[in-house]
Amino acid sequence: MKRLAILLLLALALPSAARAEASGKKRRPLPYEYGTVLIKNHSEAAGLAPVVFEHWLHRAKYTCRLCHVDIGFAMKAGATDIKAADNMRGFYCGACHRKPPTGGRAVFEACAQPSPHEQRPACLRCHSSGKNVKPEIEFSSFTRALPRGRFGNGVDWEKAELEHLISPADYLEGVSIRRKPIAAQKDFSLEAKLVGMPNILFSHAKHTVWNGCELCHPEIFVGVKKGTTKYSMVEIFDGKYCGACHAAVAFPLLDCQRCHTTPVQ
Amino acid sequence: MQTASRSLRALALCAVGLLGAGRSGNGHVSWLAVASADQDWRKEFDEVCAKTQDAMALGVDELKSLVARCDQLRPQLEKLDASSRKVFTKRLQACRDLYQFVLESREKP
Repeated sequence: MKRLAILLLLALALPSAARAEASGKKRRPLPYEYGTVLIKNHSEAAGLAPVVFEHWLHRAKYTCRLCHVDIGFAMKAGATDIKAADNMRGFYCGACHRKPPTGGRAVFEACAQPSPHEQRPACLRCHSSGKNVKPEIEFSSFTRALPRGRFGNGVDWEKAELEHLISPADYLEGVSIRRKPIAAQKDFSLEAKLVGMPNILFSHAKHTVWNGCELCHPEIFVGVKKGTTKYSMVEIFDGKYCGACHAAVAFPLLDCQRCHTTPVQ
Repeated sequence: MQTASRSLRALALCAVGLLGAGRSGNGHVSWLAVASADQDWRKEFDEVCAKTQDAMALGVDELKSLVARCDQLRPQLEKLDASSRKVFTKRLQACRDLYQFVLESREKP
């Protein structure tokens, strides 16, 4: 009887699991996983595990612009094609992870010793995918004092920056160019396509703090005039336009009210 | 006079020695070697890309001049080592594209 019940349960459960698998539905990442990027262009060929890059830790310390414009990391995982030699020459990860450490912050050196087939402890700091590596900075203790967010990392990064709980650096000596502070551009509203859905109030001020100009224009948003770039939520969920950041690292698209804020008149 | 000339020669030799020892054993390139080789293109790169923050406030002529300077600089970047070339051509392209983008928005109201 018991065996029959188990068989019945399996018969019911297996097709639904198969359906979920077939539909390609992704598991929602846990707060500490959100934004994590696996870098594996050359790691496996070099006998190393892929690099696990934690966006949450880096975004708390540096602006998006610093890494994606000044240091030159691409916006799509794997598109930068980082090589150990690049890091050793002081580019990409090596722009900060070098000796002497940048800005006096104590950071470990990236790809300091070429070790193609030996998983040395130093390599495991980054090449940690599938390895049981204890992080130096724990997500839970690092984010404990930060304002809560509903989705993503469970942190309201924008509020954390506004309240000066984090101060992301936007300049890296020897890498960045000294520039004038950015001239504030006007905020604007975008009409929601769905009836009854609140309109979007796009804040240039909030975005330029993190991104500057050239991170978004023209690569992500090709039109400078309001209404030039036509986009839909389907495209955004597909990682285009706002989705370039908000489907990957910035607060996720599930948090509708963060953008759709203006009541329809 | 002879002493002064000897001192000058010694100084010149020291400078040559320091520049020659630019590459250290661990693959890192010393700042001195980088500084001497980088001076021209890096100075131009920094100047050209320093105006991205206020691109919207620049006039059409200035934007056109910046785009032209970006185009002139690119062949120099192509001659750099693989890592520098990859990073700086991408950075240059980003600032060129921004200036071009603002320029087009002015010319096509």
